[in-house]
Amino acid sequence: MFKKIIVSIITCLSLNACVSLNSVSLTQVPAERNNTITASSHSWNFLGIAFSNDFVDVAIMELKRQCAGGKLTGILTKHQTTAYFLVFKREVIATGYCQQD
Amino acid sequence: MRQYFALAAVGLLTACARLDHVQIGEINQSQGTLIPFTVQVSEFGFEAAAAAELGRVASTGKTSQHFQEIRDILALMNMGPRTGNPVYAEDYAEKMVEYIYAECPSGKLTGLTSVREAKALGPVSGEIVRISGYCIL
Repeated sequence: MFKKIIVSIITCLSLNACVSLNSVSLTQVPAERNNTITASSHSWNFLGIAFSNDFVDVAIMELKRQCAGGKLTGILTKHQTTAYFLVFKREVIATGYCQQD
Repeated sequence: MRQYFALAAVGLLTACARLDHVQIGEINQSQGTLIPFTVQVSEFGFEAAAAAELGRVASTGKTSQHFQEIRDILALMNMGPRTGNPVYAEDYAEKMVEYIYAECPSGKLTGLTSVREAKALGPVSGEIVRISGYCIL
């Protein structure tokens, strides 16, 4: 009995770790693409119940910090959700090119 | 008693924030001081099928059966791809540009981030469009 429960839990855990891509956006890509920077932020929730979307702002602040005084272009923004067993991870990943004058 | 408990549970558990879309725009920090701003509009969203489902849970016998039929019909009527709950005004996000220029009269904008989200409570929700960014001084 115990073995069956363990096998069931492992099966559920392995089958449920799936990623869904909610949205993607891209801004104008510059000719000079040397300095690539990436920032991400995430929020965990149980059964998909979330009370705030403020984690998005963390990624923006991180982008700003990494390109202080410069111009950030070619930003690829991904919003994705990873489903684990009963738990979900919402994530925003932004990648761009920092141009320092 | 069981029905009221179920209603309360549904109400509490679904009081959640939903995130549909995020778009981060170019951020130029080389042109001057950046003053952050945020504008947002919200429209009342209503999921009729979910309301009928609450009625089904809260009632018994024939009434519950009728609610179930209504729920199924409403669900079929609203079937198809969509983002969030249906709203009654299709143009509620059209004045965003005006609101942004009210926040930043110079029009020198950067770092515009568009977020489509919602705050949902059971069958009703606030369907939100939020734009934050920076005004260059």
